[in-house]
Amino acid sequence: MEQEAPTIPKRRQELLKWNGWGYKDSKFIVNKAGQVEFTGERYRLSKQVLPHLKDFMMKTCGISLEHKITAQPEITAADIPPPIKNKEFISNLRRTGISYSDDCQDRLFRAHGHTLHEVFVLREGKFERIPDLVVWPTCHNDVVKIVELACQYNAMLIPFGGGTSVSGALECPTAEQRMIISVDTSLMNKILWIDDQNLTVCAESGIIGQDLERRLAEKGYCTGHEPDSMEFSSLGGWVATRASGMKKNIYGNIEDLLVHVKFVTPKGVLEKNCQVPRISAGPDIHHLILGSEGTLGIVTEATLKIRPLPQCKKYGSVVFPTFEDGVHCLREVAKQRCAPASIRLMDNEQFQFGHALKPESSSIFASFLDGIKKLYITKLKGFDPEKLCVATLLFEGTKEEVAALEKRVYEIASKFRGLPGGADNGERGYMLTFVIAYIRDLAFEYYIVAESFETSVPWDRVIDLCRNVKHRIHQECKEKGVQWPPYTTCRVTQTYDAGACVYFYFAYNYRGVSNPVQTYEEIEGKARDEILSNGGSISHHHGVGKVRKKWLRNTIGDVGVGALKALKAYIDPKNIFGNRNLLIGNL
Amino acid sequence: MDSISEQSRNSWIRKDNPKHVSERHKDMYEDILDDRRSSSDLRWSTRTREDVPTYRYNTPRTPVDIKKHVLKSKRVQYVLEKLSQESGKSIAELTTEAAVILDEMGHNINMGAIRGFAFFLVKIFKQLYNHIYVNEDGIQKVRNLLKDYPVLLMPSHRSYMDFLLISFVFFHYDLPPPAIAAAMDFMSMNFFGWLLRNSGAFYIRRTFGDNELYWAVFTEYVQTQISNSDRPVEFFPEGTRSRTAKSYCPKFGMLSAAIEVYFKANVSDIKIIPISISYSRILEEQLYAYELLGVPKPKESTYGLFQARGVLFNDYGSIHVHIGEPISVSNYCEGVIDRSCHNLLPRFIGGLSFDEQNLVSQMSIQVVLNQQRHFVINPWSMIAAVLMQNKDGISVKQLVKEVEWLKRQASNLGAYIDWPGHEPAETVIQESLKIHKNLVTVNSMDIVEMRQAERKGSDSLMDTAAHHLMLASYRNQLMHVFVRVALITLPINACTQDTLSLDDLFEKYTFLEKLLSRDFIFLPGNTRQDFEQALLVLTHTCGVAVQDKAVQIKTSTNKYTVFFSHMFEPFLLGYWVLCQHLLSLPSIAHDKPMAKPAKMITKEAQMVVARLLREQLIKHPETLSLDLLNNGLMALCNINALHKEKRDGAVYMAPNTVVLTKVTESIAQHIEVPTMPMASINVDTKTVVVNAKL
Repeated sequence: MEQEAPTIPKRRQELLKWNGWGYKDSKFIVNKAGQVEFTGERYRLSKQVLPHLKDFMMKTCGISLEHKITAQPEITAADIPPPIKNKEFISNLRRTGISYSDDCQDRLFRAHGHTLHEVFVLREGKFERIPDLVVWPTCHNDVVKIVELACQYNAMLIPFGGGTSVSGALECPTAEQRMIISVDTSLMNKILWIDDQNLTVCAESGIIGQDLERRLAEKGYCTGHEPDSMEFSSLGGWVATRASGMKKNIYGNIEDLLVHVKFVTPKGVLEKNCQVPRISAGPDIHHLILGSEGTLGIVTEATLKIRPLPQCKKYGSVVFPTFEDGVHCLREVAKQRCAPASIRLMDNEQFQFGHALKPESSSIFASFLDGIKKLYITKLKGFDPEKLCVATLLFEGTKEEVAALEKRVYEIASKFRGLPGGADNGERGYMLTFVIAYIRDLAFEYYIVAESFETSVPWDRVIDLCRNVKHRIHQECKEKGVQWPPYTTCRVTQTYDAGACVYFYFAYNYRGVSNPVQTYEEIEGKARDEILSNGGSISHHHGVGKVRKKWLRNTIGDVGVGALKALKAYIDPKNIFGNRNLLIGNL
Repeated sequence: MDSISEQSRNSWIRKDNPKHVSERHKDMYEDILDDRRSSSDLRWSTRTREDVPTYRYNTPRTPVDIKKHVLKSKRVQYVLEKLSQESGKSIAELTTEAAVILDEMGHNINMGAIRGFAFFLVKIFKQLYNHIYVNEDGIQKVRNLLKDYPVLLMPSHRSYMDFLLISFVFFHYDLPPPAIAAAMDFMSMNFFGWLLRNSGAFYIRRTFGDNELYWAVFTEYVQTQISNSDRPVEFFPEGTRSRTAKSYCPKFGMLSAAIEVYFKANVSDIKIIPISISYSRILEEQLYAYELLGVPKPKESTYGLFQARGVLFNDYGSIHVHIGEPISVSNYCEGVIDRSCHNLLPRFIGGLSFDEQNLVSQMSIQVVLNQQRHFVINPWSMIAAVLMQNKDGISVKQLVKEVEWLKRQASNLGAYIDWPGHEPAETVIQESLKIHKNLVTVNSMDIVEMRQAERKGSDSLMDTAAHHLMLASYRNQLMHVFVRVALITLPINACTQDTLSLDDLFEKYTFLEKLLSRDFIFLPGNTRQDFEQALLVLTHTCGVAVQDKAVQIKTSTNKYTVFFSHMFEPFLLGYWVLCQHLLSLPSIAHDKPMAKPAKMITKEAQMVVARLLREQLIKHPETLSLDLLNNGLMALCNINALHKEKRDGAVYMAPNTVVLTKVTESIAQHIEVPTMPMASINVDTKTVVVNAKL
């Protein structure tokens, strides 16, 4: 296969924001007219003015344009801890010819993911510990050499893919005395081969989602794996965190897609000797690698299933009078196993948010509410705008398949008082999830801290969990003296046979709160307690990292933790992969 | 004269003579009858209720919807299927049974009935009571909580009036009428039964043991109303009206069923509101006294209630309703309960975890303790306490002195005392004596003494005892304030050494606490803290001297310690007689004492008490109380002085002689006891034969 340079360059900070989400050129600003505008030209929302967004934020979070806080312009070398140098490692590394850097900005960029805490440090603080060295392997063998050297000279390795982690997984343990080396896989971005008989693709682990899909599309294929972070997140990262994609109903989650994986550990390479659709060979070693979060080794290559590109792709939406109706409908769709590529149910708060993202004038984006009004104004009578919610749909397949499925889904929806709400509205829902990461950076400037978290939960407890978690957040904010009511919203974002994935956003105005991040974390902690008490899980796809460690023992039990520790003790006795994620790094 | 002083006043002050200020507001309390005395009751009861708070996640439902939901619920369906398999009955048949249970149980709220009810009630209340005081801040809290949380109202229970009172208060303040858990015996009261049901009461059988279907229907019925928070749910943790005016040990069943909703995360929190209802005079005082002595309780009938109200033209003083500080169930469980233990079973199967059951019992006790904290102590309670220690009469002057002294002590211990600040003590006491003139008289020598009991039955001892019990019930309202300090003063008073080490004292305290734990309420696990706090009060304000970790007995034995100890003497004396009786039970083979049903034992012990009273060997007629004796029996059981066995469903008890002997001796160390005559009892002829010459 012909190779091409990765979309994200070696010096990431040249293209990407150093202290926020995404591309430097794309961000929300308040323009001269006092309106919110999205800059750049990469997105469909770029260069659009969003006249409702400011009012929405004022109304829901109590922001005011007069109260603004600016982030620190930069973290200079003076504020960055000097690197610990393992001279033997470095001199041996030099001999291998593998590219490396101890430039402080290179190191800083790889010191964090995108949790609220980390971004807040970038904006207003400094890190106590960051990687001492960044290395850029270009192939599997480079990684093998790096791991060997690290073992030999006792250096610590942190694998780094797209840097989009939201679990604190990339943060350096402050107590680490050894040299910390960030192994950036971004130059390992090759597609090694495509097998059109078995419909598989083998690629190096550093390839990012958008590059993989674009280049497969050139050949008429796709993996169909589309996590919301797919512009920046990498194949290796997906495997290491047990990622989930928006269209998993058709294509599956990463564990369903993975046919083979190469994993470099201090003990050697862990892999199977075959690429088979299923195997009975004792406990599946893939499941030691999936979700290992950088504690056991580095994914270097992976073989995924691919599918021919769908002929037809169509958005849709259904409006329900209440969230409960919507959940019952999604449950029924899951029961009949007729879910389209994606089906998501947004609650009323998120529906309102979507509405606030309506651009000033645009033929592409008809107003959500207008669209509904036009079509169903009469039928919609009796729908309370403060209660209604919307399910967004994405259909993929042949034209006939899509048409048939559409019919079936809308029929089911009608049994739960759901009315079709138009394609534009569906599309806007999906846009929101891509855009929301950028909005957070704007919100920061107006004293808003915001974060998302997710869980998976059995069907019978979905409604209670959504309500209880949001309620708990409101109460905790009150108790913590937060001055404005928080903005909390959720959506049922994936459906399964036995349950669903629920995604929450939580934002609050921290004017008058002295330690906003700590307060945020305490409240999110309470929310997670509530989730677990409501039958929910520690995480559906974000992973455990460091921020959710405290719930892991309860989740998998003492034996579970013990087994993982034993595994770690065998594979990585010197704790080379010492990022201390999960509970297995603390030997 | 008036006009001159008027001129000299600060113009901001309109009324500074307390006699001219109405009694509508008193401290934090507001009299809700005040308006009713000057404006139309009809207009009031039919007014538009504004801004009634509703739970934010409530889906509006009718009582019929609720019943439908219960029958269709997974919990009931599951049990129906299970029972059908076990019993061979068809599902349809069992469903009908469930529907019958549900109809018997279910409330049928309708605003018309409530308005009628309110109209009717206000007339009665105005007739019976001078004031009904409610703390307004509590109402405001409830109003706000109702919007965000399911709310459980847990009032104290001293009178039938309690059932009506909270609904009345809530109606007055435009709050939603609560769903009240009432015992089935209430239902048979024709008119009231109907009225209560239509005002939101639902009926529960007193016992339904292992009737699985009943459990399922009951649990679902209660829980769905909490989850959807159609209305606040009200129930009495004590389970029944306290006949002694002391708090009863709480029952746990209802609270378990209620907060399972939290444990199983149907809701993220529940707020519990303890409510303390204090009466100046209890409507049923006489009924209770005879009940305590064993005169069978009349079946609850409308006629009975009217009869209880036969004394309609008596003065029943005032009522204080104190809405307590809300307890957040989720805060209470923080760090103690892991609700995820319910994640592995469908929520309609399975009960509470061990930890959760423990927490529920702890919490029930806490609620009762919180109620106690906010009881309003009436002057009469203190008068009663003094009179109980001066059974032969006391001069008014001395009474005033003693009551004022006792008032200071109660207040130092945190009691809230309803004492008009602008009245001289004697006036206050005279007023009280007037309200309770059925119990006490002031003779021509200005001596206050107990009125001679009217002969009601054949047994004058019982009639006298009934009188004493009535008086005791008012003193009882003060007991929770003093119980902890008294458990310290009892050993101090009884100590024959010069010093008593704090360790020994604590040991004795612990023993007494266990012994009295059925008659008084203690929080399990809090003994050390209670002890230390009480000791602190005694050393700070009551002259108890502690040196080198020991109490100096001589300086510490004083008026305080004597008075406090004497308050509790009757209880210990009653227990002691009970112990003596148990020790005298004839043994069967191998020195094993004979087991007897609990009820029989208390009844027999009562006969022994009667005998001792007649012989004037003991002097507290209140020890005739079956409640006291039964509590003693339970406590002895809890400390293994008795063992329990079940025979054909009835509980039999037999003494554990070694432990019981020790306990008996320990009790005798704390109080004066008579030399016990050898007595035997013939149950058939109900006679006590004293063998030895006294």
